[in-house]
Amino acid sequence: MPTAVSSTSPNSALRAVADVGHLMRFRAGTVRRRGRLPLTVALFVAITAAVAVGPALVEGAGGEGRGLDVLVLLPTALAGFTALTVLSAVASGGGRELIPHEQAWAFPVSPTTDHLGALLLAPLNISWLLQAWTLLGATAYAVGPDRLPEAQVIVVLWVMASTAGAQVLAWSIEGVRRVPHGIVGVRLLTVVVLGLALGLQMANYLVVLLDQIPTRLLVVAMVDGMSLRWAATVAVVAISIVVSVVLGAVPAHIASRRVPRDQVEIESGGHEARPDPRSPLLGLIRTDRASVWRSVPMRRGLVVLAVGPGLVALLGDLPWNSLTILPGLVASGGALLFGVNAWCLEGRGSLWRESLPVEPTLVFAARAWVLAEFLLAASGVTVALGSVRAGVPNAPELTALLCTVVVVTVQVVAAGMRWSGQRPFAADLRAARSTPAPPVVMVGYSSRLAISTTVTGLVFSGVARLPDWQVSILIAVPFVAWSSVRLLRARAVWIDPVERARITTTVAV
Amino acid sequence: MTDSLPVVDVRGLHVRFGEVEAVAGVDLQAYAGQATALLGRNGAGKSTTMRVLAGVVPPTAGRAIVAGHDVHTETLRVKQLVGYCPDVGGLVPRATPWEHLQLSARLRRMDHWEDRARDLLERFELGDVAHRVTAGFSHGMGRRLSVVLAALHEPRVLLLDEPFDGVDPIGVEATFDVIADARSHGACVLVSTHLRELAIEACTTILVLRGGSRVATMAAAEMAGEEGARAYRGLLD
Repeated sequence: MPTAVSSTSPNSALRAVADVGHLMRFRAGTVRRRGRLPLTVALFVAITAAVAVGPALVEGAGGEGRGLDVLVLLPTALAGFTALTVLSAVASGGGRELIPHEQAWAFPVSPTTDHLGALLLAPLNISWLLQAWTLLGATAYAVGPDRLPEAQVIVVLWVMASTAGAQVLAWSIEGVRRVPHGIVGVRLLTVVVLGLALGLQMANYLVVLLDQIPTRLLVVAMVDGMSLRWAATVAVVAISIVVSVVLGAVPAHIASRRVPRDQVEIESGGHEARPDPRSPLLGLIRTDRASVWRSVPMRRGLVVLAVGPGLVALLGDLPWNSLTILPGLVASGGALLFGVNAWCLEGRGSLWRESLPVEPTLVFAARAWVLAEFLLAASGVTVALGSVRAGVPNAPELTALLCTVVVVTVQVVAAGMRWSGQRPFAADLRAARSTPAPPVVMVGYSSRLAISTTVTGLVFSGVARLPDWQVSILIAVPFVAWSSVRLLRARAVWIDPVERARITTTVAV
Repeated sequence: MTDSLPVVDVRGLHVRFGEVEAVAGVDLQAYAGQATALLGRNGAGKSTTMRVLAGVVPPTAGRAIVAGHDVHTETLRVKQLVGYCPDVGGLVPRATPWEHLQLSARLRRMDHWEDRARDLLERFELGDVAHRVTAGFSHGMGRRLSVVLAALHEPRVLLLDEPFDGVDPIGVEATFDVIADARSHGACVLVSTHLRELAIEACTTILVLRGGSRVATMAAAEMAGEEGARAYRGLLD
């Protein structure tokens, strides 16, 4: 929680910028495997360069055929990126923290520093990276090699402008959430926006609207190449970045002065006593569920994860065989809310919990079960929303989808429990901006989860097109078996007293 | 000290975390009906020793016997006999005090635990917040609840790590009462603290640790007053 005197004067702004540098250096110093950092940065630069240039060299790039098709879709893709950054920043209550609030509260970290830090950390998010790379790649293919530099300058600036603008909106909405009845207001606004989008789609007006979307002006400037229009577009977008970065400090200060009501409500509200659990396992599951469902970032994150992709499927009228991509996406996102560092759920209570007379296997089973049901709940909502307009599935489609849900859930639970044992972190997961691991680590986890679950989704998407429904089950068996082996290995780590002590004492700090 | 067999018997205990040796050959004996204080500077090995006795951290070398059971080989049995108040936090942030008590009672197969739980919560002035999540608790409230959780099942061995840290006088008195109750029931009590005066008041024996090893054992009365303070200061350097 920022504690410095609120001010957006030039002097304090300069100090805030300097503080971002101090905090970045402090944060970099706490990275456990610093030796890998140069390699990671080099990989990032290489991928970015490859996607920004490579597609322009492919046959048909910048041509009248598929290149033109991609060009026509570019305005929507640019707007889609903006929507994604807004959603991400709003859902996380203002974006990532350079330093967790429970560590920063004793230091004079101003809301401006916090705002700038959140902007810098925004790209450390796999969905942000993938979308940005997709935009760069699509643009390269659409415009071809001749106007590539001019076009990519606009894309890069747009990505930055969207991120900065999303941050302004996120702080503003967070400020509103923190006034009396603000949470209800924001929820109503969300329902209205979603209802409007759904209504437009049902009335077949969404495509017409997207054809008029202002981002088409950016694409026109890209196509123009080096020209007055291009220069004017670049200037306007660049100015909007500066304005957004500066302007964002204002709602950041306002939000920081208000109490986070959702967190306070949860932490001061009462929870009636329930009957005694029927077994030790159910007792552990109940405690773990309370730790998950009473956490603001997990509740908020789950709603966004479950409803967001479901609505995309609903609006996009996805067929059943394409719905298989969604459970993996949702399960990966769900694991990133706590599953990649599952032992942090009790936080400082882990020492007490570890002193209770219970078999470690039971503790592991409870934690894995609660993670699995959390992921299944999110996937269930997504699939239910996506199925509304998908009609009645045939047997292969339904089996493929159910197999995907089972496979990705086991995959993600196994990966999450493995990482939780390998690299535990102390994290309290109280505030909306809390994450279970440092941002750089989260990027690694999200990339690996995204790759494995997307591949799984694509496999079952193909299988859903086959006539035999049994094929899905046959393919699912080895997937589940392999993930089960990995889950058992993670369990073996937890059962080892020395390893368990390492994990427990790390998360209890 | 006493002629009876020790309830807690630690011999040559070593605990290593990588390169760091947190406990370097501690020997200690504690007896039924007695309260023993562990004193020492930060990093002396007090909390790690307590964690070993609670079955949370396994010893790297040496032996730790609790109520006749080896913590290394009979960890679960030891956990059933021990009540542990950890030095940091000790509470699940999004669970209520009642849910903590319920889980502890369920895992210890306790019946009719509710009356004792209510009584303890009232004695520590936590009755009004029994159904509020502990994330919103002050440090002192958290410490008091940790003592309640440790004492709920009337353990054979009560381990209190920094139970007085940030606790108000009412909470300190309630903790004294819990220690006295435990002793009267024949429990062995170990209290780790930096507060020498409170340790003298609550305990019968004082053990001083330094650099992961025991440097002195004496009756609590010997640590009292100005002279005791000087002696203690001398043991720390």
